[in-house]
Amino acid sequence: MESVAGHIDGAPRPSGAITFDRSLKGLTGIAVKGFLLSLITFGIYRFWYITNLRRYFWSRTTVDGSPGEYTGTGKELFLGFLVALAILVPIYIAIFALSLMSPALAAFGGVLSFVILYLLGQYAIYRGRRYRASRTLWRGIRLGQDGSAWAYAGMAAGWSLLTVVTLGLAFPFMRASLERYRIRHTLIGTARMDSTARGTQLLPYWLVFYGVVLLPLLAAAAYFLVAAGFKIPTDLMVAKPGKPGDFIMNPTYAGTPVATALTVLGFIGPVGVIAALLLIPFYRARETRLFMNAASLGSVTLSSTLRARQFYWPYIVYFLSILGFFLVIVLVFLGLGLLIGLGGGREPGGFSAVHALLLFTTLAAYLGAGLLFAVLYVRIIQARLWAAVAESTQVHGTEALAQIVASSRAPASGLNEGLADALDVGGALQIGF
Amino acid sequence: MQPITATGACFDGVSARPYPVTIRVTDRFEVRGEGVFHDWNLLDLRAADAAAPLMRVGPVGSLIRVEFTDATLAAVLPLRCPDLARRESEEGGTLRLVLWSIAAGVSVILVALFGVPLLAGVLAPMVPDAVEERLGAAVEGQIVDILGKPPLCTEAAGKAALDRLVAKLVAGRGLPGSVSVTVRRHKMANALTLPGARVIMLSDVLVKSETPDEFAAILAHELGHVATRDPTRSLIQSSGTAFLLSLVFGDLTGSTIIVAAGQAIVSAGYSRDAERRADAYAVDTLNAAGGNGAALASILERIAKDGDSETGAFLRSHPFTRERAASIRERAGPEAAGRRIIAEADWVALKGICPGLPAAKPSESKPSESKPKPPGPRRERKAPDEPVDL
Repeated sequence: MESVAGHIDGAPRPSGAITFDRSLKGLTGIAVKGFLLSLITFGIYRFWYITNLRRYFWSRTTVDGSPGEYTGTGKELFLGFLVALAILVPIYIAIFALSLMSPALAAFGGVLSFVILYLLGQYAIYRGRRYRASRTLWRGIRLGQDGSAWAYAGMAAGWSLLTVVTLGLAFPFMRASLERYRIRHTLIGTARMDSTARGTQLLPYWLVFYGVVLLPLLAAAAYFLVAAGFKIPTDLMVAKPGKPGDFIMNPTYAGTPVATALTVLGFIGPVGVIAALLLIPFYRARETRLFMNAASLGSVTLSSTLRARQFYWPYIVYFLSILGFFLVIVLVFLGLGLLIGLGGGREPGGFSAVHALLLFTTLAAYLGAGLLFAVLYVRIIQARLWAAVAESTQVHGTEALAQIVASSRAPASGLNEGLADALDVGGALQIGF
Repeated sequence: MQPITATGACFDGVSARPYPVTIRVTDRFEVRGEGVFHDWNLLDLRAADAAAPLMRVGPVGSLIRVEFTDATLAAVLPLRCPDLARRESEEGGTLRLVLWSIAAGVSVILVALFGVPLLAGVLAPMVPDAVEERLGAAVEGQIVDILGKPPLCTEAAGKAALDRLVAKLVAGRGLPGSVSVTVRRHKMANALTLPGARVIMLSDVLVKSETPDEFAAILAHELGHVATRDPTRSLIQSSGTAFLLSLVFGDLTGSTIIVAAGQAIVSAGYSRDAERRADAYAVDTLNAAGGNGAALASILERIAKDGDSETGAFLRSHPFTRERAASIRERAGPEAAGRRIIAEADWVALKGICPGLPAAKPSESKPSESKPKPPGPRRERKAPDEPVDL
């Protein structure tokens, strides 16, 4: 049996491994150039920036010894964005005009635009994935995606509705269902992938998240509704005396169950947000592992050993870097403030050199922060999460990969991904699938 | 030319099967293996990205790929293939892209700065009254919420006096639509004009007014905004600018600040002109109705005193008060000071429109330049898409 990984002389690699070049050589340059040029081109360069990032990530990831290849271009993405604008602007204007012309519709204007933009967003996500697939080569074989983006958007909308109705319990089933649709319409050459992802497999991990984050919130909200007799009192919040625009709770409710419920809600809300932030990486890691294990291509299967801590580390490192940066900034400004306090006291209101220095430092700190966070985000969050998923995954039955045959269908249009960017759904700096 | 040989794998672009091959580079790139033979011109060779030591090449425009890890070949190949790193799909260069992008961005900014206000000025008079009325109702709801839901003042005698004053000011001035003036109890001395000829006077203006003409002057200033449809124009202008800028710039770091700052400068510049026009309108209206046009100057000096700082002048939506007061006095003429717009009885009734308001301080000190007043609280500037106020 021919071991594909053995085709290259040099260090023998375990067959079927997925690797990622962790040295990240050259990535900082791409991020710095991308950030600065995006800044001075009013953001237009971002399409070329994303393209460069994708080319980098694709080419540094090897599957069974061969790296991927990204063949998309910034020009394609930019043209797609312009076309998407041409579609979106009339829609925005129509929604605005409709809510203005008809007062009956005005109340539903927000809901209407949310529904339309949600559907378009899901549509755009699917089309964007199709573009990325068709611009991906492996061993000279083009990937592809068929299926209908409208069907996908419809499914996503239906599942979202069901998730709301079931108070969030249907969420893992939605995730699994959409994953199956995506994977089953993904092709490598002519070979179609398959996924056996099931919502019931995800359910335990979702219940952990649900029990810690959502259930207390829902319970508190229910308690509040019961206490208020299932209708929210309109006079619950009143203007703070003497301070228009500030609101306090109506004192007449003090001591009633409504006030207690509101206090409980006010406590559980922030706690829930923190718990959610802490638990999202855990859920995402478990979900990714399950989805990887469920995916297959004929007799080729994947297995993932992804640990949740591999998802936590990048976030912790990123968070600590930002914290450190702000500490330095605070110290610098404290020093400058001290300088002003000592030197500027004699001439109040004067614009001294220290003030100029302060202004300059503020500007430099702002730009520097933007640049630093952009680079750190790419190097720490994106690269490390990507590496974690790639390196924890193993391909089994690689000998069957040799049977993959290229497809004769044309690559998808470059206009596919523009809508996603114009709608801000995973367009910007989206580099994975 | 020294031939270099190495081993690698070839993928034929049709199947994913790797073919073990021997690569030989002279002035051609030759690939030989079982059932594989390629002979490519070095000028046609392109390299796809890969992390060292792996290298991956293929002829331009083809899906055939040859992968190898030989260090010698990897070092020599770029020297013999001048176009190895060339990317036909990305021709044109980054510099050209950057310059065109900047040009496009500047063009959009210019349209937002000059085109949109021009368009808003043309469009505002064309908005049908019914639409403007609906717009006004919607905006009034929002504004009342922002102000903290101040209650309406509806004392019957006061309301009647107010209606008589409004009728006197509106008479013969050819205002569009029917004007609706309401008074709301609020601790801020300010007045607002909304689309659909809706004027909201906050009760503190009444408190701070020492003469009926001062109150009438503020009211007439607002009617000046009604006459030129300023609220509708500024609504169209600010939403148009915001829409244009945010749509084009997306929301990468920094651009939101550019958008916000640009909007503030644009709307401030145009609203300063609008304020001067409304001032002139107020003086003319008051003089025509037999009142004291210069009263606008004295009430402005009381409730909208300039800060000490000259900085940020280009960001101010209103001109400096001393500058306004000077041109108001000049326009009103010297003989204006003696006139009164309404009788004392009506003035007393009007002040009773909000029962229980603190009485105005007796006018023992006439507003004079010699006596500096303590700087009053600077009025907080609101978001630029709000209606034109005092």
